[in-house]
Formats: sequence, C-alpha cells, structure tokens
Amino acid sequence: MKLEEFSILVIDEDTDRAAIVERGLAEGGYTRVSRIGTSYNLVERVQALAPDVIIIDLENPDRDTLEQMFQVSRAIKRPIAMFVGQSDSSMITASVEAGVSAYVVDGLRQDRIRPIVEMAISRFNAFDQLRRERDEAQAKLGERKLIERAKGILMQQKGLSEEEAYALLRKNAMKHNRKIYDIAQSVITAFQLEF
Amino acid sequence: MTRKIVRLGFVPLVDCALPVVAHAQGFDVAENIDLHLIREMSWAAIRDKLSYGVFDAAHMLAGIPLAARIGLGGMPAQNLVVPMALGRGGNAITVSTRLYQRMLELAPQIMQGPRGLSARALKKVIEDDRAHGRPVMSFATVFPFSSHNYELRYWLAAAGIDPDQDINIGVIAPPRMFDSLRNGWVDGYCVGEPWNLRAVFHGDGVIVALKDDIWPRSPEKVLGVREDWAISNPDTVSSLVRALVRAAEWADQAENRTELAQLLADEGHVGASFDILKASLGGQPVLRPGGEVIDVPDRHVFYRYTATFPWLSQGQWVGSQMQRWGQAPLDINMAEMVKRVYRPDLYRTAVAGMDVALPREDWRIEGLRDAPDRALVGPDGFLDNSIFTPDVID
Repeated sequence: MKLEEFSILVIDEDTDRAAIVERGLAEGGYTRVSRIGTSYNLVERVQALAPDVIIIDLENPDRDTLEQMFQVSRAIKRPIAMFVGQSDSSMITASVEAGVSAYVVDGLRQDRIRPIVEMAISRFNAFDQLRRERDEAQAKLGERKLIERAKGILMQQKGLSEEEAYALLRKNAMKHNRKIYDIAQSVITAFQLEF
Repeated sequence: MTRKIVRLGFVPLVDCALPVVAHAQGFDVAENIDLHLIREMSWAAIRDKLSYGVFDAAHMLAGIPLAARIGLGGMPAQNLVVPMALGRGGNAITVSTRLYQRMLELAPQIMQGPRGLSARALKKVIEDDRAHGRPVMSFATVFPFSSHNYELRYWLAAAGIDPDQDINIGVIAPPRMFDSLRNGWVDGYCVGEPWNLRAVFHGDGVIVALKDDIWPRSPEKVLGVREDWAISNPDTVSSLVRALVRAAEWADQAENRTELAQLLADEGHVGASFDILKASLGGQPVLRPGGEVIDVPDRHVFYRYTATFPWLSQGQWVGSQMQRWGQAPLDINMAEMVKRVYRPDLYRTAVAGMDVALPREDWRIEGLRDAPDRALVGPDGFLDNSIFTPDVID
C-alpha cells in the first residue's frame, strides 16, 4: 500500500489540535485524511469512512464506543486492533504520555503504521507545547493589565504620578517579598472592598 | 517519613465513593499514603493509563482487569490484578418514557410483575416492531467488559430476547448516556447511578430493572493495579486496601450518606445534582417520572455483605459471561485466569488484624437464595433462579 492510499481518520474534540495533526499527515504525504469531532453516530461514520488507521485523543469518551467495535464484528467490516503491535511497547508508552490513542486495521504491516502514529505523537506534543506557551503568554498579559489597573487606582486615589504609583507597588513587593502583580491584586481587592 | 503518593484514576459514578472518601476523610493519610485522584471520562483511558504507568491504581469495571489479562479488546495482554472490590449496587436498566409506554400497552400484566422479568414486555414490543417491519431498537451499556453489559444481556436473554440479533447493543461512556436517551439515539441503557435517576428526574426515562432485581451479588467495580507494581510495593498495596476498606465502612453508615452525597456532588468528583445523589444513596429512588419513592435499602452497598472482598466466584461469573457472549475463547482455562487476576490473598494480608468480616473460602456457590452464609454475604439469587458453581482450583 502506498502512502497516499492509507485512509486515516482523526477524531478530536479539539479542532485546533486535529487540524495540526491533519496538516502534519498531509505534509508527510498522506492525502486521504478525514477529521470528525464528537458524533453520536460514530459507528456509522467510522463504517462509512472505513479508515485503515484512527488517531484519537486518549481521553476522548468516544473511545469506549470504538472499543465495542473489536467485539462486534458485524458492526464494522474489518476488525481493528489497538495501538501498533504486541511487541512495540516503547511506542505505546510514548503514545500514552502524549495522550494519543491509535486504532489500526488488523493485518497492516507495523512499519507502515509506525510513521503515522509517530507523526501524531509529535504533533500532539508540539500542540501541548504551543498551548503551554499560549497560556503563559495570556497569564503574563493578565499580570500586566492587573498592574496597570492598580497603578490607575493609586494615581486616582492617592494623587500619585504614574511613576510614583509604580514605585509604590514595587517597594511593597520587595518589602513583603512578593511578586508585583500580587501587590497589584491586593490594591485592586482593597479598592473594591471600599465600594 | 514522607508519605507515598498513589495516583488513582476514577470515572464519575456513585461507586467512585471509596477513593473519594478515603482522601476526603483522611483514611489515606492515616495509612501513610497520599491519594492523588484523577477524574477520567472513559474506561479505555483508565485502562491505558493504568497499564502504562500513568496511574498506580484505578477504579475499574470488574471485567476490565480480566479482559486485559486475557488480551481481549485488541490490546496487548496486561498483567493487572484486583486486590479488592469497590462495593456493589447502583446499576439499573432505564428505557425511554416512550418505550416504557409501549411496554405497558402491550404487556400490562408483565409490567405489574417482578421487575427482573420486565424484559418479557420488551419482547412483546420487539415482536410488534418486527410484525410492522420497523428497525431494531438500540440499547447501550458502558463498556464491552462491564457488569452492565452482562446484566443487560442476562435480563434480555432470560426473557427469550437474543441480545445479538433482536436488538443492537452499543457502548456509550457513562457521562454521555443521558443525552443519548434524551435525544432518542438509544431506546434504553444499563448504567450506574446517578445516570439512571437523572433520566427519571428529567422525565426522559423509566427504570425497569435494578441490579438487585437481576442478581444482587453481581460484581461491580474493583480496584485495579499492575501486578509488577503490586510486587514491588506490597506495603503500599496493603495501605491502599486498608484506606479504601475504612472508606467503605464510613460510606456504608446511613448517617454518613447525606455527607457522602454532598461530597460526590462536587464537580471534581461525580458532578451530579445533590438531590439525585441523595435519593440514590439513601436507598429511596423513584423509578418513573412523578412516581412514588420506593425503599431499596441495598441500592448502594459499600462495606457490608463482603462488598469489598474480591470473590473468585464473582470473577469466574464475569469470565463465564465473557465466554457466553463470544468475547473470550471457550478453550481458555478461565478458573486459572481468574485466579491470577482476582487476589483475595492480597486483601486478606491487608486487612489482617482489622475488624473486617472475612469468608472462610475465596469462592462460594452463587445464587442460592437461602445459603448458609447469607448473614455474611447478604441477599443472593439470579432473576431466573439459576445457580452458578465455580470451578475450584488449588
């Protein structure tokens, strides 16, 4: 089977992550990639698409539904087996750590499946990294806004200049050995309490 | 001395009570362990995370460790063991209000009879559908290797319904069950609480059989750990079992049930309404919308009746159902397989010296309504009065 002949289905409620995985597979030369989110008629959809490989978020509740397909041969034409192969435990561990689960049509050669699953694992990990960075950036942005607001309150309430307000926050942060945004938060809280 | 951390995965159901209580009431700390509880939304995720070391222990369906050991479900075989059970009860079969009306119309007398035989009314509906050329109905359970699957099939088969031909049985994760019934994607299901009462409270479903009506001693959830972890951490296994047994004892007290309902209502635990949880835990469920409260004191049993003991005979019954329904091959030595998975020896070691009632043997003949050990094990009896005799091996 050539690369472009593999039919791959990506099931993920996180559409951003699904898109990243799909793009990765397309760049890797796989052209028959489908994507679905949560679907109540999952069994029908999977039957209709007849994928050779399913990549799904490990924690997705739809996995319990997929598990049934191993048991009921009449529900799906070809039996599918989980993960890659009995011997490849290092890859399974990497999958579980990355939060990727893969279901593979029985009988496909392991060496043909490996790059697909590896691709999914690396994309899941990359997405995780992106999400962490985004969360950190958002948290930083939030801190800056908090400090701006506290400065504004001090300027208005105490008649300070912007620099004096910032210096006051910093002085208190050093004195109490706390982060400057913690002090800013306290200022805002105290201000809200008064009204 | 630092306490050993035990990472334990659970699924939001009433019977996740034991690990939740063990942590909330400090039974873990008293045994010198720190339970880290992780909420999961699927049994497949629980199994995989336990098998590959993300968790040390897990709240599991009784059939999962056995299926994992046999290598069913497309997974490479996993050596999981069961040092204890996590209580019993809580399951029920719920049908849509529409299907309930049809069962009533077509078989009013059967619906007046025992709930365990209510599937005979369902058979009438199936025959009516067939005569009119309507498509077969869909039912759902929570996992292929769940007691829910085996209970639903037992209830159906006893009424002459072939679960593989006369209806469709699919799998839906517990937190998604209620929506599936409400939206008409399934006609009925077998699931643990609070997902039955929720359908009743919202007017979408009617409970037609409780687990007690099918087989009160049917095994439910168990504690699963990896065999290699159990071998390397024998003291931690014992501490964990003791903490969970203490939690079971606490959870079984009638006076603690309201507090337990509050604890479980928390979003981080079950995350269902307090009223529903209280009705279920108090043994006072309502079976149909607007119906009367009924008394089912044994609806949730956590401690009494040896509810935490990992009976080999219960494990063998699960194995026999796997074989009955074509999940497991007939030529494997199931008794031997069960003995490797179900580990009453680990339980006995852990609770030695505690005031815990223990059976003399690790197995018993199941299903006798007036067995000599009834005071110890509680009510017994299959809906069709059959008897299950386990294979005894040394």
